[in-house]
Amino acid sequence: MDESLSTTTRTTRARSGTGIVVKTIRGIGWASLVVGLLILGFVAQQLFVTSWFADRNQVQLEEQAQEYFDATAAGVEEVPYITPLPGQQSRTGSGGSVPAETPNSIDGGPRATILVEPAPPVHQAFAILRIPKLDKLRDGWTVVEGVERSDLRNGAGHMTHTPVPGQPGNSVISGHRTTYGAPFHDFDKLEPGDVIEVETAIGMHTFVVREIVIVKPTELWVTAPRDGAWLTLTTCHPKFSSRQRLVVFAELVDGPNAAAILGA
Amino acid sequence: MRRFIAVLPGPTPVKYALAVVIVLIALVALFFIYDWIGANLLDTGGTIQ
Repeated sequence: MDESLSTTTRTTRARSGTGIVVKTIRGIGWASLVVGLLILGFVAQQLFVTSWFADRNQVQLEEQAQEYFDATAAGVEEVPYITPLPGQQSRTGSGGSVPAETPNSIDGGPRATILVEPAPPVHQAFAILRIPKLDKLRDGWTVVEGVERSDLRNGAGHMTHTPVPGQPGNSVISGHRTTYGAPFHDFDKLEPGDVIEVETAIGMHTFVVREIVIVKPTELWVTAPRDGAWLTLTTCHPKFSSRQRLVVFAELVDGPNAAAILGA
Repeated sequence: MRRFIAVLPGPTPVKYALAVVIVLIALVALFFIYDWIGANLLDTGGTIQ
Protein backbone atom coordinates (compact mmCIF):
# COMPACT_ATOMS: atom_id res chain seq x y z
CA MET A 1 0.00 0.00 0.00
CA ASP A 2 2.82 2.30 1.04
CA GLU A 3 4.83 1.36 -2.03
CA SER A 4 1.87 2.09 -4.29
CA LEU A 5 1.33 5.49 -2.63
CA SER A 6 4.98 6.35 -2.98
CA THR A 7 4.94 5.45 -6.71
CA THR A 8 1.86 7.62 -7.26
CA THR A 9 3.49 10.54 -5.46
CA ARG A 10 6.65 10.19 -7.56
CA THR A 11 4.58 10.02 -10.76
CA THR A 12 2.58 13.11 -9.77
CA ARG A 13 5.77 15.02 -8.91
CA ALA A 14 7.36 13.97 -12.21
CA ARG A 15 4.27 15.06 -14.12
CA SER A 16 4.20 18.32 -12.18
CA GLY A 17 7.89 18.89 -13.03
CA THR A 18 7.28 18.12 -16.69
CA GLY A 19 4.28 20.44 -16.64
CA ILE A 20 6.39 23.35 -15.39
CA VAL A 21 9.03 22.74 -18.09
CA VAL A 22 6.36 22.54 -20.80
CA LYS A 23 4.68 25.70 -19.53
CA THR A 24 8.00 27.54 -19.41
CA ILE A 25 8.93 26.48 -22.93
CA ARG A 26 5.47 27.38 -24.16
CA GLY A 27 5.71 30.76 -22.42
CA ILE A 28 9.12 31.47 -23.96
CA GLY A 29 7.74 30.44 -27.35
CA TRP A 30 4.78 32.79 -27.10
CA ALA A 31 6.93 35.63 -25.76
CA SER A 32 9.39 35.17 -28.66
CA LEU A 33 6.52 35.18 -31.11
CA VAL A 34 5.10 38.39 -29.64
CA VAL A 35 8.52 40.10 -29.54
CA GLY A 36 9.17 38.99 -33.14
CA LEU A 37 5.82 40.38 -34.28
CA LEU A 38 6.48 43.66 -32.46
CA ILE A 39 9.89 43.99 -34.15
CA LEU A 40 8.39 43.09 -37.51
CA GLY A 41 5.67 45.68 -36.94
CA PHE A 42 8.29 48.30 -36.06
CA VAL A 43 10.28 47.63 -39.22
CA ALA A 44 7.13 47.68 -41.35
CA GLN A 45 5.92 50.90 -39.73
CA GLN A 46 9.25 52.66 -40.13
CA LEU A 47 10.01 51.57 -43.68
CA PHE A 48 6.62 51.33 -45.31
CA VAL A 49 3.96 53.16 -43.30
CA THR A 50 6.01 56.34 -42.78
CA SER A 51 7.01 56.34 -46.45
CA TRP A 52 3.39 55.87 -47.49
CA PHE A 53 2.45 58.95 -45.45
CA ALA A 54 5.37 60.96 -46.85
CA ASP A 55 4.60 60.02 -50.46
CA ARG A 56 0.95 60.91 -49.98
CA ASN A 57 1.89 64.24 -48.36
CA GLN A 58 4.32 65.03 -51.17
CA VAL A 59 1.49 65.17 -53.70
CA GLN A 60 -0.30 67.81 -51.63
CA LEU A 61 2.89 69.69 -50.79
CA GLU A 62 3.93 69.96 -54.41
CA GLU A 63 0.61 71.64 -55.18
CA GLN A 64 1.10 73.87 -52.15
CA ALA A 65 4.57 74.84 -53.37
CA GLN A 66 3.26 75.70 -56.85
CA GLU A 67 0.57 77.89 -55.28
CA TYR A 68 3.25 79.51 -53.12
CA PHE A 69 5.38 80.26 -56.20
CA ASP A 70 2.44 82.05 -57.83
CA ALA A 71 1.50 83.95 -54.68
CA THR A 72 5.07 84.99 -53.87
CA ALA A 73 6.01 86.22 -57.33
CA ALA A 74 4.46 89.61 -56.51
CA GLY A 75 6.55 89.95 -53.34
CA VAL A 76 9.90 89.37 -55.01
CA GLU A 77 12.19 92.38 -54.71
CA GLU A 78 15.14 93.35 -56.87
CA VAL A 79 17.82 94.81 -54.61
CA PRO A 80 21.41 95.92 -55.13
CA TYR A 81 23.98 93.28 -54.31
CA ILE A 82 27.54 94.16 -53.45
CA THR A 83 29.93 91.46 -54.51
CA PRO A 84 32.33 91.01 -51.63
CA LEU A 85 36.07 91.28 -51.94
CA PRO A 86 37.97 88.24 -50.71
CA GLY A 87 37.49 87.87 -46.96
CA GLN A 88 34.35 90.06 -46.82
CA GLN A 89 30.79 88.90 -46.13
CA SER A 90 28.35 89.38 -49.00
CA ARG A 91 25.74 92.13 -48.52
CA THR A 92 22.47 93.19 -50.00
CA GLY A 93 21.34 96.78 -50.21
CA SER A 94 18.12 96.11 -48.34
CA GLY A 95 19.41 94.53 -45.17
CA GLY A 96 23.20 94.71 -44.94
CA SER A 97 25.09 96.83 -42.49
CA VAL A 98 26.60 98.89 -45.32
CA PRO A 99 24.23 101.05 -47.40
CA ALA A 100 23.76 100.07 -51.03
CA GLU A 101 24.99 103.45 -52.20
CA THR A 102 28.41 102.94 -50.66
CA PRO A 103 30.94 103.37 -53.44
CA ASN A 104 32.38 100.16 -54.79
CA SER A 105 35.90 101.46 -54.41
CA ILE A 106 35.46 101.47 -50.62
CA ASP A 107 33.05 98.63 -50.08
CA GLY A 108 33.80 95.86 -52.46
CA GLY A 109 33.74 94.61 -56.02
CA PRO A 110 31.28 95.20 -58.83
CA ARG A 111 27.69 95.94 -57.90
CA ALA A 112 24.68 94.15 -59.40
CA THR A 113 21.13 93.34 -58.43
CA ILE A 114 19.65 90.13 -57.12
CA LEU A 115 16.10 88.90 -56.71
CA VAL A 116 15.18 88.55 -53.05
CA GLU A 117 12.12 86.54 -52.15
CA PRO A 118 10.41 86.97 -48.78
CA ALA A 119 11.12 84.38 -46.10
CA PRO A 120 8.44 81.70 -46.31
CA PRO A 121 6.07 81.13 -43.37
CA VAL A 122 7.04 78.27 -41.07
CA HIS A 123 5.69 74.85 -42.19
CA GLN A 124 5.04 76.24 -45.70
CA ALA A 125 6.12 74.22 -48.74
CA PHE A 126 8.24 76.75 -50.63
CA ALA A 127 10.81 74.94 -52.80
CA ILE A 128 11.36 71.77 -54.79
CA LEU A 129 14.67 69.95 -54.57
CA ARG A 130 15.87 67.85 -57.51
CA ILE A 131 18.99 65.76 -57.85
CA PRO A 132 19.09 64.16 -61.32
CA LYS A 133 21.66 61.55 -60.22
CA LEU A 134 19.43 60.07 -57.51
CA ASP A 135 16.30 58.09 -58.42
CA LYS A 136 14.36 59.27 -55.39
CA LEU A 137 15.01 62.95 -56.07
CA ARG A 138 15.03 62.94 -59.87
CA ASP A 139 11.42 64.13 -60.03
CA GLY A 140 11.71 66.41 -57.04
CA TRP A 141 11.01 66.45 -53.32
CA THR A 142 9.23 69.36 -51.70
CA VAL A 143 11.05 71.47 -49.13
CA VAL A 144 9.11 72.97 -46.23
CA GLU A 145 10.13 75.82 -43.96
CA GLY A 146 11.31 74.51 -40.60
CA VAL A 147 13.03 71.43 -39.26
CA GLU A 148 10.60 70.38 -36.57
CA ARG A 149 9.66 66.72 -36.52
CA SER A 150 6.32 67.49 -38.17
CA ASP A 151 8.07 69.41 -40.98
CA LEU A 152 10.48 66.57 -41.69
CA ARG A 153 7.64 64.05 -41.77
CA ASN A 154 6.21 65.90 -44.74
CA GLY A 155 9.23 66.88 -46.77
CA ALA A 156 12.80 68.02 -46.51
CA GLY A 157 13.11 70.81 -43.94
CA HIS A 158 14.80 74.17 -44.38
CA MET A 159 16.48 75.70 -41.31
CA THR A 160 14.57 78.90 -40.69
CA HIS A 161 17.52 81.12 -39.79
CA THR A 162 19.38 80.33 -43.02
CA PRO A 163 18.72 82.00 -46.40
CA VAL A 164 16.35 80.59 -48.97
CA PRO A 165 18.25 78.54 -51.62
CA GLY A 166 19.58 80.82 -54.33
CA GLN A 167 20.12 83.74 -51.96
CA PRO A 168 23.58 84.79 -50.73
CA GLY A 169 24.87 82.79 -47.76
CA ASN A 170 24.43 79.20 -46.66
CA SER A 171 21.00 77.66 -47.07
CA VAL A 172 20.62 74.49 -44.98
CA ILE A 173 18.14 71.73 -45.74
CA SER A 174 17.76 68.49 -43.75
CA GLY A 175 15.98 65.29 -44.69
CA HIS A 176 15.30 61.73 -43.62
CA ARG A 177 17.69 58.99 -44.69
CA THR A 178 15.68 55.83 -44.03
CA THR A 179 12.14 56.74 -43.02
CA TYR A 180 9.36 59.11 -44.17
CA GLY A 181 10.05 58.53 -47.83
CA ALA A 182 13.82 58.53 -47.22
CA PRO A 183 14.46 61.41 -49.64
CA PHE A 184 18.17 61.54 -48.78
CA HIS A 185 18.64 57.76 -48.74
CA ASP A 186 21.28 57.62 -51.48
CA PHE A 187 23.33 60.64 -50.46
CA ASP A 188 26.37 58.41 -50.09
CA LYS A 189 26.30 58.09 -53.90
CA LEU A 190 26.81 61.83 -54.39
CA GLU A 191 30.25 63.02 -55.45
CA PRO A 192 31.87 66.41 -56.01
CA GLY A 193 30.67 67.74 -59.37
CA ASP A 194 27.13 66.32 -59.14
CA VAL A 195 24.31 68.72 -59.91
CA ILE A 196 21.56 69.75 -57.46
CA GLU A 197 18.63 71.87 -58.59
CA VAL A 198 16.30 73.84 -56.36
CA GLU A 199 13.18 75.54 -57.67
CA THR A 200 11.96 78.51 -55.64
CA ALA A 201 9.57 81.39 -56.26
CA ILE A 202 12.19 83.27 -58.31
CA GLY A 203 13.19 80.36 -60.53
CA MET A 204 15.51 77.39 -60.81
CA HIS A 205 18.86 77.49 -59.02
CA THR A 206 21.61 75.06 -59.98
CA PHE A 207 24.22 74.01 -57.46
CA VAL A 208 27.26 71.80 -57.86
CA VAL A 209 28.46 69.51 -55.08
CA ARG A 210 31.85 70.70 -53.81
CA GLU A 211 32.42 68.68 -50.66
CA ILE A 212 30.88 65.85 -48.64
CA VAL A 213 31.74 65.41 -44.98
CA ILE A 214 30.61 63.25 -42.07
CA VAL A 215 30.24 65.07 -38.77
CA LYS A 216 28.64 64.78 -35.36
CA PRO A 217 25.02 66.04 -35.08
CA THR A 218 26.22 68.89 -32.87
CA GLU A 219 28.75 70.37 -35.33
CA LEU A 220 26.99 73.64 -35.99
CA TRP A 221 29.81 75.04 -38.12
CA VAL A 222 28.31 73.32 -41.15
CA THR A 223 25.37 75.75 -40.94
CA ALA A 224 27.55 78.87 -40.62
CA PRO A 225 27.22 81.63 -43.26
CA ARG A 226 29.47 81.35 -46.32
CA ASP A 227 30.63 83.71 -49.04
CA GLY A 228 28.70 83.25 -52.27
CA ALA A 229 25.52 81.19 -52.33
CA TRP A 230 25.68 77.69 -50.94
CA LEU A 231 23.29 74.87 -50.33
CA THR A 232 24.08 72.54 -47.42
CA LEU A 233 22.14 69.29 -47.25
CA THR A 234 22.27 67.22 -44.06
CA THR A 235 20.98 63.76 -43.24
CA CYS A 236 21.55 60.93 -40.77
CA HIS A 237 24.58 58.69 -41.09
CA PRO A 238 25.11 55.78 -41.29
CA LYS A 239 21.80 54.46 -42.60
CA PHE A 240 19.45 53.31 -39.82
CA SER A 241 21.35 55.33 -37.25
CA SER A 242 21.31 58.93 -36.08
CA ARG A 243 24.82 58.77 -34.65
CA GLN A 244 26.38 61.09 -37.26
CA ARG A 245 25.43 63.44 -40.08
CA LEU A 246 26.28 63.20 -43.76
CA VAL A 247 26.69 66.76 -45.01
CA VAL A 248 26.78 67.81 -48.66
CA PHE A 249 28.08 71.27 -49.51
CA ALA A 250 27.02 72.55 -52.94
CA GLU A 251 27.78 75.92 -54.53
CA LEU A 252 25.44 77.98 -56.69
CA VAL A 253 26.60 78.01 -60.31
CA ASP A 254 23.48 79.00 -62.24
CA GLY A 255 20.13 80.66 -61.65
CA PRO A 256 18.48 84.07 -61.39
CA ASN A 257 21.04 85.36 -58.88
CA ALA A 258 24.11 83.41 -59.93
CA ALA A 259 25.65 86.07 -62.17
CA ALA A 260 25.41 88.79 -59.51
CA ILE A 261 26.57 86.59 -56.65
CA LEU A 262 29.43 85.02 -58.56
CA GLY A 263 30.44 88.49 -59.77
CA ALA A 264 30.33 87.52 -63.43
CA MET B 1 -7.80 35.49 -28.26
CA ARG B 2 -10.90 33.51 -27.28
CA ARG B 3 -9.86 33.66 -23.63
CA PHE B 4 -9.30 37.40 -23.97
CA ILE B 5 -12.75 37.90 -25.47
CA ALA B 6 -14.30 35.61 -22.86
CA VAL B 7 -13.11 37.73 -19.93
CA LEU B 8 -14.62 40.90 -21.38
CA PRO B 9 -17.93 42.02 -19.82
CA GLY B 10 -21.35 41.95 -21.44
CA PRO B 11 -23.10 39.71 -23.96
CA THR B 12 -21.15 38.18 -26.87
CA PRO B 13 -21.68 41.00 -29.42
CA VAL B 14 -20.52 43.55 -26.84
CA LYS B 15 -17.49 41.42 -26.02
CA TYR B 16 -16.48 41.37 -29.69
CA ALA B 17 -17.07 45.08 -30.09
CA LEU B 18 -14.96 45.78 -27.00
CA ALA B 19 -12.22 43.50 -28.32
CA VAL B 20 -12.12 45.40 -31.61
CA VAL B 21 -11.93 48.75 -29.79
CA ILE B 22 -9.14 47.52 -27.50
CA VAL B 23 -7.14 46.14 -30.44
CA LEU B 24 -7.52 49.42 -32.34
CA ILE B 25 -6.39 51.47 -29.33
CA ALA B 26 -3.41 49.14 -28.90
CA LEU B 27 -2.47 49.52 -32.58
CA VAL B 28 -2.64 53.32 -32.40
CA ALA B 29 -0.55 53.31 -29.22
CA LEU B 30 1.96 51.00 -30.90
CA PHE B 31 2.13 53.34 -33.90
CA PHE B 32 3.06 56.28 -31.67
CA ILE B 33 5.58 54.23 -29.71
CA TYR B 34 7.18 53.03 -32.94
CA ASP B 35 7.20 56.57 -34.27
CA TRP B 36 8.89 57.90 -31.15
CA ILE B 37 11.53 55.17 -31.18
CA GLY B 38 12.18 55.69 -34.90
CA ALA B 39 12.37 59.47 -34.65
CA ASN B 40 14.77 59.37 -31.73
CA LEU B 41 17.01 56.44 -32.49
CA LEU B 42 16.72 55.35 -36.12
CA ASP B 43 16.41 58.54 -38.15
CA THR B 44 15.98 61.94 -36.55
CA GLY B 45 15.67 63.73 -39.88
CA GLY B 46 19.33 64.68 -40.19
CA THR B 47 19.17 68.04 -38.46
CA ILE B 48 22.23 69.71 -36.99
CA GLN B 49 21.57 70.96 -33.45
